[in-house]
Amino acid sequence: MRKGLLAGLLVLIAAAPWIVKSGYVFHIATMIALTIPLALSINLTLKLDQLSLAQPAFMGIGAYTAALLTMRLGVSPSLAVLAGGLLAVVISAVFGPIFLRIKGVYFVLLTYAFGQIVNLVFQEWTSLFGGNNGLYGIPRFSIFSHSFGETEYYILGLAVAALFFFVMYAIERSDVGAIFQALNEDEMFCRSIGSNAQSWRVAAFIMSAFMAGIAGALYAFYIGFISPDSFGFGATIDLIVINVIGGPGSVFGPIIGTIVVVPLLEFLREMRQYQFLVYGFCLVFFIMFFRQGLVSIFERKREVV
Amino acid sequence: MSTMLEVKGLVKRFGGLTASSNVTFAVDHREIFGIIGPNGAGKTTLFNVIAGHYRPTAGSILLEGRKISGNSSDQIGRQGVARTFQAVHLFHEESVAENLRRAAMISSCHNPVAYFSQRGEKVSAKVESVSQFLGVAHLLETKAGGLPYGHQKVLGIGMALMTSPRLLLMDEPVAGLNPSEKRAAGTLIRRLRDELGLTILLVEHDMPLVMSTCDRILVIKQGTPLTIGTPAHVQSDTSVIDAYLGEDYEFA
Repeated sequence: MRKGLLAGLLVLIAAAPWIVKSGYVFHIATMIALTIPLALSINLTLKLDQLSLAQPAFMGIGAYTAALLTMRLGVSPSLAVLAGGLLAVVISAVFGPIFLRIKGVYFVLLTYAFGQIVNLVFQEWTSLFGGNNGLYGIPRFSIFSHSFGETEYYILGLAVAALFFFVMYAIERSDVGAIFQALNEDEMFCRSIGSNAQSWRVAAFIMSAFMAGIAGALYAFYIGFISPDSFGFGATIDLIVINVIGGPGSVFGPIIGTIVVVPLLEFLREMRQYQFLVYGFCLVFFIMFFRQGLVSIFERKREVV
Repeated sequence: MSTMLEVKGLVKRFGGLTASSNVTFAVDHREIFGIIGPNGAGKTTLFNVIAGHYRPTAGSILLEGRKISGNSSDQIGRQGVARTFQAVHLFHEESVAENLRRAAMISSCHNPVAYFSQRGEKVSAKVESVSQFLGVAHLLETKAGGLPYGHQKVLGIGMALMTSPRLLLMDEPVAGLNPSEKRAAGTLIRRLRDELGLTILLVEHDMPLVMSTCDRILVIKQGTPLTIGTPAHVQSDTSVIDAYLGEDYEFA
């Protein structure tokens, strides 16, 4: 892995808003930073060979929790962000053990159904969640009554993205990564030597929900307005495309994918109808010709044995 | 000698198909116990039920007097029962030493809580002793995927040994090996018992190996036990010869 090159590139991209002094670039960079934990969260479930379509639901749970706590109960935003992440943890800890009894396409369908049900709750429980109109007037993020400006919020987003990235990187490089790999390759073997495969899957699922919940809460404070639409199936597709384009095999993949796809989404905002056309072409191209994703550009070719 | 494993009235049905019916046997400590039978006799099913991959329909399995039937395979794995597979699982990209270390690590870090509470456990001494026992100490730095098949199978046994089992279930350990590798495997299986004190349950098609290695043998046919006894007893049992080995079969 040409890590030096990649790391330099990532730092450069993170610094772009200060190099290109433009509000638009700042906005896109913030959106990238806030999307990275989500892309990583779905990547974590992929590491255990399970595609979860529930991640935007956990994002929504985090977002609505944080927004409602600050708006209705006056909880400070930093605590509300944590609470958003924690509620996602609690809900995933309840449903994870049930969902993860099932593998493959049925797990995908279960998480899809879960996402739809959560979204329906946001839509239909209008007195609490504001229905399809959503919640607006979410206050700006602040710590000790110091309100965060754009720059500060971007730095916060970057810090959270970097934190989750390093956690995921540590997982990939440590024995946990080896355990995940072994569970994917041969669960029967792992269980025969005593490994409780289910407990590892549940832990990963909870961790992925935590990342999504935190990202959702930060998103709510950044945009100032949330509606069920932001946490629906479309968001799931975005995250899958990000992982496919970036490359799901490495923890750098979702980062690169986010950096490519989020700006693309912003540029396509005016022509939403073409978005899925572009997605379709990208998915076909990458799955057929570029299975390892863009991250493989930075990987040294394996020696041929 | 006391009993290591006791299987009592075991029945396993898949829908209408009875894969094991009323199987009863006991394996003593430090015994090498073979299970033979024609293809489809239910040997592997029996194995998988003992290892906890399947739940028995009826009957019970006791490990040193404690009931293990109904436990999941990882619970049984943590109670000192290890198994080897026909298709060896290896980390092909990693060295032999790393494969052995990972087997111990996956076993001791069996859930996330254990992972965080058992960090820093030293397994390098164990890697050393297991590799020496198996005669692969000179291959420790070799990539596992590049090993010849015979060595890969030995490494598979090594990974099971890293979990310090009391009972080792071996599923066709010599399938696919050449004659000299088969003889070496037979010696190794006896050394597992003689030097490490393991109890071994062996499913194998290779008759010369089974007859020369096992203390006692259970013969099953269509899920039903035909007979249990020493190799000499089994070889002279006419019902076994008729039903399984065929009239023209000659023991090597």
